[in-house]
Amino acid sequence: MPELPELNPVVHGKLRLALLSLLAGVENADFSWLRDKTGSTDGNLGAQLLKLEEAGYVAVEKKFVQRKPQSIYRMTEPGRVALFEYVQALKQLLGDAI
Amino acid sequence: MAQNPNEMELKDRVELIENMLAAGRRKTEKWGWTFVLWGVAYYVAIAWSAYGNPGVAWPVTMISAGILTGLVASRIKRHEAQTTISRAISSIWIPMGISLFLLMVPLSLTHRLDAHSSVAIVSAIIGTANATSGLILKWKMQIACAVVWWAASVAGCFGTESQTSIVFLVAIFFCQIVFGIYAMVCESQHRQRGAVHA
Repeated sequence: MPELPELNPVVHGKLRLALLSLLAGVENADFSWLRDKTGSTDGNLGAQLLKLEEAGYVAVEKKFVQRKPQSIYRMTEPGRVALFEYVQALKQLLGDAI
Repeated sequence: MAQNPNEMELKDRVELIENMLAAGRRKTEKWGWTFVLWGVAYYVAIAWSAYGNPGVAWPVTMISAGILTGLVASRIKRHEAQTTISRAISSIWIPMGISLFLLMVPLSLTHRLDAHSSVAIVSAIIGTANATSGLILKWKMQIACAVVWWAASVAGCFGTESQTSIVFLVAIFFCQIVFGIYAMVCESQHRQRGAVHA
């Protein structure tokens, strides 16, 4: 019997997975846009984005626009690979169920 | 590595990925207002030219509209995501505006521009931008606007000066004002449908 794949715990977190999936479809996104799309709180969103940043899955650029701070997030190549591998593992685990 | 969860949770994750990918790609840009703004700007410039100084009216109105567009756009784009398509669309309209300005202002200042050639040139260039944008977005309504602009460009080469002006005013009304309002309504409907929560 073939060994079942294990899911990457960094990607598996519900909000982190939502963030990676959102960032996979765009070039970059502002913190507020990510918050609006996920319906998350600022604190939780910031914490999960930091975990993704520490894992090297997202990169952040902080700047000031019209004297207001702005954080722009984009998915990195390791992040793209991690999401792809996660989806492959999901497919293998669910088999005919999807 | 974490222990693998149950099938229900896994299916929930698949659904979440699908929803978020769709939400990320969903059109959230707000650009309809720019068509209305520039349509109004053309009307202001035309009226100012007719009753005032044509040499000043167009450059001043166009520069003012450009600054206003830049200011409002930078405010709107602060809380948006950038997609390849949104960058492609901006890459059409910004160079088009610069080309028109660089072409029309010197021609006007050197008195080498009459009503026929100005309507023909402006309509053809705006038609090209609309067609390119419409083809990228697969938006038939915008492609229809391009056809109207191209028709105005051809019509601008014939008839009297007043007939040419009427053609231009009609093209502005349908392709800037009416299309801009229609785009704003579409964008509003997209945003209302776009609420997805993780």
